[in-house]
Amino acid sequence: MGAERAKDLASVAVSKAQAAGASYAEARVQSTWERQYVLKNGEPQPSFFSEGYGIGIRVISKGALGFAATNDMRRESVIQIARKAVSLAHASSAVLKKPVAMDGSKPVKKKWSPPEKEKIENADATWLRSVLLEIEGRVADGRAGIKLPGRLFFLGAELEKRYYVNSDGARVEGRLPRVGFVGSLTAIEGGATAQRFIQQGETGGLEVVERVGLVEKVEEEARAMGKVLRTATKPPTDRLDVVLSPELSGIAAHESVGHPQEADRVLGREGAQAGESYLKADSLGRRIGSEEANVSDDPTLIHSNGFVPVDDEGVQARKRFLIKDGVINEFLQNRTTAREFGLTSNGAARSVSFDREPIIRMSNTFVEPGDYSTDELLKEVKHGVLFKTFTEWNIDDKRFNQRYVALEAYLIERGELRGLVKSPVLEITTPKLWGSVKARSKHMEFEAAVCGKGDPQQGAPVWTGGPETLLAGIKLGAR
Amino acid sequence: MRAMDLDELNERAISAARNLGVDDAVALSARSAESIIRFANNSVTVVNRVEEAELSVYLAKDRRRAIASTSNLEPQVVKKFVRDLFSSMKGLPESEYVPLPEKAVKYSPSSFGYDRKLENLDERLVEMARTAIQAATKAGGKRSAGVISAGKATVAILTSTGTSGSDSRTSITLNIRSFAEKEASGHGLSCSSTLSGFDPEGAGTRAGEGAKTMKGASEPEAGKYQVLLSPAVASNLVEPVAGAASAFSVDAGTSCLAEKVGKAVAAQPFSLTDHGVTPGGLDGRVFDDEGVRTKSNRIIEEGVLKGYLHNLTTAKKWRTQSTGNAGFVTPHPWNLEVAKGDSSYEEMVREMKRGIILTSNWYTRFKNYRTGEFSTVPRDGAYLVENGEVVKSLKGIRAGDDLLRLFSSVRLLSKEREWIQWWEVDTPTLCPWVLADGVTITRAYG
Repeated sequence: MGAERAKDLASVAVSKAQAAGASYAEARVQSTWERQYVLKNGEPQPSFFSEGYGIGIRVISKGALGFAATNDMRRESVIQIARKAVSLAHASSAVLKKPVAMDGSKPVKKKWSPPEKEKIENADATWLRSVLLEIEGRVADGRAGIKLPGRLFFLGAELEKRYYVNSDGARVEGRLPRVGFVGSLTAIEGGATAQRFIQQGETGGLEVVERVGLVEKVEEEARAMGKVLRTATKPPTDRLDVVLSPELSGIAAHESVGHPQEADRVLGREGAQAGESYLKADSLGRRIGSEEANVSDDPTLIHSNGFVPVDDEGVQARKRFLIKDGVINEFLQNRTTAREFGLTSNGAARSVSFDREPIIRMSNTFVEPGDYSTDELLKEVKHGVLFKTFTEWNIDDKRFNQRYVALEAYLIERGELRGLVKSPVLEITTPKLWGSVKARSKHMEFEAAVCGKGDPQQGAPVWTGGPETLLAGIKLGAR
Repeated sequence: MRAMDLDELNERAISAARNLGVDDAVALSARSAESIIRFANNSVTVVNRVEEAELSVYLAKDRRRAIASTSNLEPQVVKKFVRDLFSSMKGLPESEYVPLPEKAVKYSPSSFGYDRKLENLDERLVEMARTAIQAATKAGGKRSAGVISAGKATVAILTSTGTSGSDSRTSITLNIRSFAEKEASGHGLSCSSTLSGFDPEGAGTRAGEGAKTMKGASEPEAGKYQVLLSPAVASNLVEPVAGAASAFSVDAGTSCLAEKVGKAVAAQPFSLTDHGVTPGGLDGRVFDDEGVRTKSNRIIEEGVLKGYLHNLTTAKKWRTQSTGNAGFVTPHPWNLEVAKGDSSYEEMVREMKRGIILTSNWYTRFKNYRTGEFSTVPRDGAYLVENGEVVKSLKGIRAGDDLLRLFSSVRLLSKEREWIQWWEVDTPTLCPWVLADGVTITRAYG
């Protein structure tokens, strides 16, 4: 669909919704283009591509929110679905306790796209396959030092284009190319098995594969699995120090800081699905961690998997300091929650598709870097365990009680990495975890992930990351 | 411009594929409409209406295979879409290829699973939400959050070998969670393929009662417990077992059922079946993505693994027949059924010496799909049982196990069953209460 037709249909939808009685209306025409290739144990699977588009229209009528979407882009169908959004909102106002309204965020007029050296549209099946075959060549037949009878690799290239308009005057046009890899490795040796899921992804063009060092990373993971199976021993269970790698720092930041600081959860809107939060609306300013606990979410990071410079409510996005020096500093806000808090939105509304309403989402959530080099930080540890990678993890729906099971983990004695330990378990509350932060390195890394939320579900691409984070006085379990 | 019907879309796609000289082609077109009302704090938060159509095409030529889908269904675009897919195959290597069945089949829609009364509920969902909220409040919940989704979907198929037909489904589901205090919550579900089977009042009542009984919950000692799993919790753990029965998962190293066909993988009372279509089933159809007739496949019979779920490609590799579970790439279940037992819920509670009743859970994650090691986080109603009596409500717990050990320890199944499909269970599952032994319960100790 041409840009001009998309703009025309979005404008028509907004004006017809207003004419039908909406006090606020927005429309988003969103198209997707995707190429994917799959290799299972070296065998090519059918290649896959998809393309499509549609329009999502969100309105406020009589204080209630309505959303309707269609991929029938005939003008009369778009007008009909816009009116449907209004009539549904109108009808639902009968069970409305508190009217919804937008904050006073400044409407943005902007065209955006991340840097892209080699156009994403050049990602055909031949290129995707060649990358996966290179990975396969590094790890198949024991070449990474371990037999891997289960190897499943997905490589995808996608392009999202969106045109957004709202009745407050926002006009936003975005182009978002992304490359993403998901791999599953299953190693078996001596009757024992280990399994690792690897996810890598960034926004940008075909250069992403080299920039993230994809081939080398998968090979490194495979080699580590062999060492774990051969040499890992029972982990200590006395009280000790724990060093979280960038990967573990990132997942902890995402699960136990980002999620509970989504304002819609704090207000109860996700109560039946993703849950609520251990925090309340008046928790801003509450101390939750040590002075060293600093966690942020930043949608403006160039190349990031969660790059969203303007959100799906037409608000200029910015970095959010979620925990600052151990204190709850800021929630992730959209325009309606910001209004309830008496604030303005910090640009956290995202929708993954034309047929999903924009909701509050993280982008790139991470522990802020500290001053230590990695070696200096490890020297601080007399007796401890380094969690380098993890497999199983989960957290309760208030985001209070969480668990991380390491795959690759090392005993640390007097500042030196010793041998591997087998499946140590960190099962800990959120205040205990962030209250134990003693030091952070300045070495930052990020991992790609897909964050689930919403009903219908919306899997949003994000980064999780951080430096090495030292937790003092922790008790571990074992799997 | 006009909207094409599904058969016309398929015909255009297959005609274009034939003109390109493909060996095999399948066109699957789908149209769906769904209305969704969400509420929180006893107040509606948003109403959604989504109307969509999509065309998926599979092509095979000289042992090269590709799949594509599009929502751009303008008549003049379909031919180009198929041509582009065909062009994309030129650089591909040969892969495992199994021709489509030569014999053409004309499928008629199944006789159950569609209720016209669910087609356009829209504004009526508001009243249903009000009913559920009021029932929860009456039963003891102070504030409730939830979602009602009602929808219809039609899928039509046409293959280059002449197989054709269509099938339609309707469903309506309610997921409600009620809170009596910040940490005292209960859960209710109602999932049905017909309007008459939908019970928002009953689900709301269960959520409210659960919330009321969770007041004053405390953390138990960590250790091994008997657990009585509600149909919702059991379904959440049955679903990965069915996923592990996909032959693709077995090949990929992500199945705990690998090398187990003919062996005991569960206790004798446990049987699991997948149905292409079944009375009350919220999903599925009479044909799979390759045009093979779907059927009922017993996955586990009285504790013994009977076989895997196959499409044409995996079936060839395993020297068997397709089970009608394609996915072009991955075979998958349609509607799961766990066989009922002969106990009542009350009898099962009385059987428990020292155990925990779990009514809801979320965030099931695996350490290793090959071994089936997982943990999951109970939420809402959780109760400690001693000597057959509920003694207190519990919070702050996590359950961990491996799937095969868990289902091998099943002692009793209830005679009452419930259809489950919600945020934590994608595949509709008809499931009883399940009593199992020796599940590890932990709490935060860091």
